[in-house]
Amino acid sequence: MANPNDATPQVRDNGRAPKSAKSTKSTGTQSKGVRQSMSDLHTWAGLLVGWLLYAMFLTGTVSYFKEEISQWMRPELAHQQQVPDPAAVSQRVATTLATLADGTTQWSVQLPTARSNLASAFWRTPPGSAQKGMFQEGVFDPATGHAVTARDTLGGEFFYRFHFQFYYMPVMWGRWLAGLCAMFMLVAIVSGVITHKKIFVDFFTFRWGKGQRSWLDAHNALSVFGLPFHLMITYTGLVTLMTMYMPWAGEVALKSAAQRQEVAAQLNAFIRPGKRQGVAAPLANVDRMVREAQARWGENNVLRVTVTNPGDASARVAVSRGEALRVSVSPQYLLFDGVSGKLLETHDHVGGAAETRGVLYALHMGRFGDLPARWLYFIVSLAGTAMVGTGLVMWTVKRRQKLPDPMRPYFGFRLVERLNIASIAGLSIAMTGYLWSNRLLPVALPHRADTEINAFFAIWAATLLYALVRPAKRAWIELLWLAAALLALLPVLNALTTQRPFWRSVAQGDFVFAGFDLMMWALAALHAALAWRTATHRPREKAAGKRATATLPQEEEA
Amino acid sequence: MVGLTLGLCVMAFAFLALGMERHQQAVLGRALDAGRTRGFRIAGWCALVITLRMIVGEAGWAMGLVYYAGCTSLAAGIVYGAILWRQRARA
Repeated sequence: MANPNDATPQVRDNGRAPKSAKSTKSTGTQSKGVRQSMSDLHTWAGLLVGWLLYAMFLTGTVSYFKEEISQWMRPELAHQQQVPDPAAVSQRVATTLATLADGTTQWSVQLPTARSNLASAFWRTPPGSAQKGMFQEGVFDPATGHAVTARDTLGGEFFYRFHFQFYYMPVMWGRWLAGLCAMFMLVAIVSGVITHKKIFVDFFTFRWGKGQRSWLDAHNALSVFGLPFHLMITYTGLVTLMTMYMPWAGEVALKSAAQRQEVAAQLNAFIRPGKRQGVAAPLANVDRMVREAQARWGENNVLRVTVTNPGDASARVAVSRGEALRVSVSPQYLLFDGVSGKLLETHDHVGGAAETRGVLYALHMGRFGDLPARWLYFIVSLAGTAMVGTGLVMWTVKRRQKLPDPMRPYFGFRLVERLNIASIAGLSIAMTGYLWSNRLLPVALPHRADTEINAFFAIWAATLLYALVRPAKRAWIELLWLAAALLALLPVLNALTTQRPFWRSVAQGDFVFAGFDLMMWALAALHAALAWRTATHRPREKAAGKRATATLPQEEEA
Repeated sequence: MVGLTLGLCVMAFAFLALGMERHQQAVLGRALDAGRTRGFRIAGWCALVITLRMIVGEAGWAMGLVYYAGCTSLAAGIVYGAILWRQRARA
């Protein structure tokens, strides 16, 4: 059944008997079955944005552990034994912000959780301030409420932001580009499912050492096993930014500002500052309000505290609910009068449409997940990354056999081949390089966080240059080995440059740092295995005539 | 709870794989008769349904479906790897 050599080179209609006289007569490219068209669509939709998709997938995958990455990148902050009391932390940060963000019309602080040992805040730039931009942001030590004394870094947040808005370009452009890629991904998934004609029969099939056939089997397995996730993550990815991608319905339907505000209140707990009364009034203690929220939702289930017009009689305080085990990001918050501290409104449900979006959004972010759920997300998402990666590589594997002169491939082939090397092997090196730069750059360096990010892109660009000048196979092997070495040595670098080497983390029960080191070694092993397989791979030699007949039926299924 | 779900899913997919002739050859070295093949298939599908019922009963629909989707994906991958390993060991 699976013998690719038994088919004639004629293009078949889904492998079944030809349906009409027309399709029997025409051979070659004239008449194509649905599967063949879908296969072409799948190939080109996947290839065109494949490199960006791979980067989005991988940075998105690691973002499921962005809090842990951020912890690792701020080694000065001690391992958090237990979650600090949200009420006390919010009051400490409120005190700091009263001076740091004096005159602001709004500040908001996200409280530490079991996974994050920081309180991170943003505030509107006070009117008349010398600072640029609409918002300022900062991270604060939960124990003191002061700005953290750790090294300046964006931490895991960088991977997260890159995942949907890239870098070195206006945020909105990046998000549009990400949306475009996600749309292509959706097309690739649907057309891929239609193209794959034996999802159930070939469910567990892997044919070892069969060149293109093996790549296809691997690509299919990675795609099919995680299909529910891949479909969900792509669709919900589009949903997270849907009001930006498709604003028109809202613009037409919502006439007044009040209506728009009402809809916004259904989507998130981001309250806007109201009109100032111009009467100075001190902000009431926020810890009492947070305690009220704790009584309602649980001790450590408070996500953030947002204050508008602090210091004015019109001040409002919103305390929003945490996301643990709640598969929805729909806003649930308590609104207090900021001066008297009286509870004004309780928002604990939204309309059906808003809730649907809240659930889809939450599914994408996975922030509700406990540890097992997060690992499942991470593993299946990693399979998705490999799905994109194998798809990209397969484009070249499939065409290499048919090159007229394998020594001198045409321009498009060389381009795809080199971009594959830089975007797959190169990205691993760049991401690891970002972590290396976190440990190697001087702690007091000005613009340190930006320098780390610039290092990431410089390293990535260097891998592209390297891929362009080396023979393709050598470039694959060398860059994969380099990635493996950098990953394997990162825990060593960490042991040399911080007070938190692996053995001490284990002894102290610090599973964030110990787990990070173990993960680096696991990923190093993965890269080493890939490098070793690539190095020992011997392409099969085939007679030219036999090859021509053998590749066609395979192509239909690709 | 998630561990048990994963284990049951691995079992279910192993049954489903044994309900296919190609993998019977790879794992057992011989093809099973039609009755047993059908038996494995039914057992596999039943195990998948029962596991879903169990995890949704334990964790509710929202978290239950998330765990279930993750566990089925991972379990299929584990069974896939195991078949491949058996196949290589035999070859």
